[in-house]
Amino acid sequence: MLSDTVKTQLDELIKKNKVLLFMKGNKHFPQCGFSAQVVQILKETGVKFETVNVLQDPAVRDGIKEYSSWPTIPQLYVDGEFIGGCDIVKEMYAAGDLQKKLGVEDKPVAPPKITLDEGAVKAIKGADEGSGDVLRLEIGPQFQYDLYFGPKKPGDVEVVAGGVTVCFDKQSAKKADGLSVSWVETPDGGAFRIDNPNEPARVKSLSAPELKKWMDEGKAFELFDVRTDEERAIAKVDRARALDGEGEEALLALAKDTPLVFMCHHGMRSRNAAERILREGFKQVYNLEGGIDAWSQKVDAAVPRY
Amino acid sequence: MSDTKESIRAAILEKIPDADVVVDAGSGGHFTIQVVSPVFSGKNMVESQRLVYGAIAHLMKGDGAPVHAVDKLTTKTP
Repeated sequence: MLSDTVKTQLDELIKKNKVLLFMKGNKHFPQCGFSAQVVQILKETGVKFETVNVLQDPAVRDGIKEYSSWPTIPQLYVDGEFIGGCDIVKEMYAAGDLQKKLGVEDKPVAPPKITLDEGAVKAIKGADEGSGDVLRLEIGPQFQYDLYFGPKKPGDVEVVAGGVTVCFDKQSAKKADGLSVSWVETPDGGAFRIDNPNEPARVKSLSAPELKKWMDEGKAFELFDVRTDEERAIAKVDRARALDGEGEEALLALAKDTPLVFMCHHGMRSRNAAERILREGFKQVYNLEGGIDAWSQKVDAAVPRY
Repeated sequence: MSDTKESIRAAILEKIPDADVVVDAGSGGHFTIQVVSPVFSGKNMVESQRLVYGAIAHLMKGDGAPVHAVDKLTTKTP
């Protein structure tokens, strides 16, 4: 039951603040992904807003759920009116309705420049069932990608690339300039690969067949093997350079945009090395998933397994 | 997990008997729910979602609740 004290407290908070977000954590350190997304949207609108950290007060945390008849956090109030949680705020922002409610301008988002390679265009056209749905590309807060056919939504930013129309919601569009979609062969069959220059640098995964393809195509990259000399004596990929003292020195002297691939036995040690090298400012760092073991199984059976 | 999925479905159907309900379970008590029913006609998103949330509120209450979060709740009219 909502106590009178808590109800009065919430009444006053909501009355006093034009834009008020009940959330987990605060606007500088949100402690839940949903809260973080709403904070991000409010910041993008440029509106002044206050937050209440429900984690600091269990009475408020439970109270606000009952007060709003809404079982989840975050919860946004504008001018005393309950607007909704993360989903609703996102959708209203995309459609421009949130901006209207907040009395701010709905700034148009410039359509991002994107490219689709031939394989991607073919795969997309082949998958289009002609149901009238559009191809949507959503980019999440941590640059998770979702490429699917879905209904067109108000506020969508449309881009045509390779004869294909791609729809973005506003927030995704802002993160997509320069993005490219290609079709690659993976151990599990064909798949889309998305390269996005707006992504903060992180270690990317590379499969053994993809690495083979890079070699066959004559792509410029450097391959480093982080295993011990004993292991390298048992099995190795000719092109790989040992990451010993000398190898590391050579690596650090490379241009920071050189694609680097790290490998080991199963892909764990090399991932650690790759993460470490990322901090040296290298932008294109790959980990050979499954290591030399995957290489012997999927590419070159002449390389012994151990 | 499938038990919780079924509880969510049953709870929604109890409140909205003519609904078409699809529940998908993610990891760690996260769920995606889609409900299609004529009952949402003329209601806005908050009102529609409140109706569904109201039906499953008991499954979301407290710290050890079986439903930790609903990642996406979609309400539609047929």
